[in-house]
Amino acid sequence: MTWKAKLASQIPADLATEIDVFETQIDLRKLGKIDEKLFAETRLRRGAYGQRYDNAQRFDGFQTQQLKFPSAPLTKGPDTAWDAPGMMRIKIPFGGLTARQLEVLADTAEEYSDGILHITTRQDFQLHFVHIEDTPNLMRRLAAVGITTREACGNSVRNVTACPLSGICRTEAFDVTPYAKALTYFLLGHPDTQDFGRKFKPAFSGCEDEACGLVNMHDFGGIAQVRNGQRGFKLYVGGGLGAVPYQAKLFADFMPVEELLPTAQAIARVFARLGEKQNRARARIKFLVDKLGIEEFKRLVGEERKTLPPDPRWTQFPVVEEKPLKPASALNGHRPEGFDAWLTTNVYRQRQAGFATVTVYCPIGDITSTQARHLGDLMRRYSGDNARTSVEQNLLIRWVSESDLPALFTDLKAIGLGEQGAGTILDITACPGTDTCKLGIASSRGLARELRSQLASKFFTLDEAVKGLRIKMSGCFNSCGQHHLADIGFYGNSRTINNRKVPHFQVLLGGRWRNNGGSYGLAIGSVPSKNIPQVVARITERFVKERTAAESLQDFYARIGKAESRKMIEDLMIVPAYEKDPSFYSDWGDPREFSMGDIGMGECAGEVISALQFELGAAERMNFEAQLAHEAGAFAKADQLAYDSMLQAARGLVHEQWLDVPADLATIVKEFKARFATLFQPALAAYLFRRFESAPVATAEATHRLIEEAQLFIEGAHTCGDKLQQQKAAERAAILKK
Amino acid sequence: MDNSTYKFGVKLFITNPGAKPLKDFIPVFHGWIQRQGVPGHLLIDVHDYSHVHHGPGILLVSHEANLSIDETEGRRGLVYLRKQPADLAGTIAAAQAVAKKLTEEQGVQFDTPHYEVSVNDRLANVTAAQVAAATGGNVALKSGDPRERQTFVVKR
Repeated sequence: MTWKAKLASQIPADLATEIDVFETQIDLRKLGKIDEKLFAETRLRRGAYGQRYDNAQRFDGFQTQQLKFPSAPLTKGPDTAWDAPGMMRIKIPFGGLTARQLEVLADTAEEYSDGILHITTRQDFQLHFVHIEDTPNLMRRLAAVGITTREACGNSVRNVTACPLSGICRTEAFDVTPYAKALTYFLLGHPDTQDFGRKFKPAFSGCEDEACGLVNMHDFGGIAQVRNGQRGFKLYVGGGLGAVPYQAKLFADFMPVEELLPTAQAIARVFARLGEKQNRARARIKFLVDKLGIEEFKRLVGEERKTLPPDPRWTQFPVVEEKPLKPASALNGHRPEGFDAWLTTNVYRQRQAGFATVTVYCPIGDITSTQARHLGDLMRRYSGDNARTSVEQNLLIRWVSESDLPALFTDLKAIGLGEQGAGTILDITACPGTDTCKLGIASSRGLARELRSQLASKFFTLDEAVKGLRIKMSGCFNSCGQHHLADIGFYGNSRTINNRKVPHFQVLLGGRWRNNGGSYGLAIGSVPSKNIPQVVARITERFVKERTAAESLQDFYARIGKAESRKMIEDLMIVPAYEKDPSFYSDWGDPREFSMGDIGMGECAGEVISALQFELGAAERMNFEAQLAHEAGAFAKADQLAYDSMLQAARGLVHEQWLDVPADLATIVKEFKARFATLFQPALAAYLFRRFESAPVATAEATHRLIEEAQLFIEGAHTCGDKLQQQKAAERAAILKK
Repeated sequence: MDNSTYKFGVKLFITNPGAKPLKDFIPVFHGWIQRQGVPGHLLIDVHDYSHVHHGPGILLVSHEANLSIDETEGRRGLVYLRKQPADLAGTIAAAQAVAKKLTEEQGVQFDTPHYEVSVNDRLANVTAAQVAAATGGNVALKSGDPRERQTFVVKR
């Protein structure tokens, strides 16, 4: 029995085919039939990501070891060993989860990973140490419960995030969940989103003032608005964190919900056509918006919008109806020890009277498979299928009848998930950093563990103003830990002291979590990692001592100024000599002498593979399958596959000029003939026309010849494609120059 | 269980868990990587899950298996979880070799006659008799949550 056979009836046919194709691509890569760059972007778009040391090198504290993986020199991408453990990113649109999905995630974490489910800062799950050859079965098991990993990485539309309180929030204009879900499945695999130079992150928020969806830091974001009884969104575009953070620009003060999806589609087309493709550091849409100016960008999107053929999905918003398991009730009865403190920080009273949402605090986003299964049980016992992950790396159980809160607290404690402190200074957000990320410089998780441990021991003694602060950290300047938005943020860097590297964290103050990530913090100085706990203590103590009534840390920081803020930490920036204190020369939780030697090439940006290259890659796969069919004596099948491979390549070329090219073969051949009469080598084009005009001949000799011709046709398509790309680059340069 | 191989796991329980704090295994495992000190295994990295309740504790990742000073169910033990399929006898031998190394180098003591065998593949259907054939002694299916991995308790 295989998972493919066992789950055949439970996986949607299109998804099953996609996973089968991916499995074939894995086989083809092993045979050297797919280029490593194309395979890398292919797996990234399936959510299979690289991980630290996958270049088969690791600094062990004394020297860099070559990791001798058995399948060497086979690679799964440039400089990426085939056998090296990788990460699987699993998209959870708007963070919505059922109990059954949680159970299957738990099983896959055990069987293919290390028994840990990691919740990310984009409401995804990540599994680490996964072997590439396990990924198709992992995907099948998730697909059987409605989860896809498609486009979780790579130059694609990433997980659509939304406020985890959507639908139960006391201040939202309306529940954004149906719109987040509609956008997710509309853009997933959409032809207009396959040709980006970089990733594209959407987010939704139900209200303006809270943090909610952090719309201001997203490529595309909507804040719910109701005007004259009509639903719509205040639409933003071109925000983003990264090394240089940009606040999103207002695209429309009010976009009726009916225009949301077509506008997103038009934006995708403009981004695909004009976005940077060569320089990955400048390829996010924020740079395009900045370069064009928001008004010109809006004009171009408006023009594009007019050309879109109508799509019935534009106004098909799914009904996302959550049903509470039990009737509303009031909190009453016995309160277990620790309950009241937990109630204060981890429970949100819903707008629906008698119901509450519980935030299950997951330390740095990690839960075990066993805990995940128990959480599924608790959902079934208290809430129904009503859970969401959050960008603060926690899990929310919604629609809990209030009288059940003490029992739920007791049950959570029993599985080690009853800790108080959600949304407080204890609830530290950290990206994977040097634990698993190829780009990590310093150990963000190591520091988070240490800070959490120190703060937990004195949490009860902290001033209320300090308890409410947020700490966020990233292992490098790329902001996966969203450090710019924290009251106190950190990102990892390195300094050289007497020829030795010392892990440091840059300290940022003044970020604003509320107002959808309303402002970004500014760096005040880089401090050795081992002194960061003292930095937190010093800043918070001074804040408590000198703050005026109700003054926020942001206001306090603005009042005392940057120079004075830096003075607070200046002495902590000094690194003692190695001979005096060698502990400064290694990172938290890692006894190796610190090194920058393990940093690899990030895959965040993916390889820039054009949509045409994907189409031609698919054509080559079909042609290979034709060869296999021929070898097996299935000549009719071989003939069809070879023919299809030519059509696939031709369609790819036509699509370069006509985004709405239909799927029927007569149109494809007609358009190909009309458009590429001079650009495509005529002798090779004739192979397609000849097969189009004649009946199939299913003999060994005829199909063998057709397969050869199809391969040559695909070669011709590559050549023609190169010319097209040159033309497009020239057109793009001309538009941007204007 | 036919002649094919499975991804088995073995948990050997530590009898002196107080003798060594969990995090002290981090430098031990890093040292093993420096020497590539577990024969037949390509040691890759160490991962700290000490913040997770009853979790994998401190994890040593290798190509062939995940090894951890594991805290599941609140019982500290060495877990050897095979990633590349192997037969059960080979998996147990590999786990015991690692335990022996921890005893000799770090003074970690194990309850050697009693251990657990898990089947890290929910498609596999293994019986107690089949496990007993590889381990000897008394073997019983561990009761508990049926969603957990199939696990057998071995008493020799």
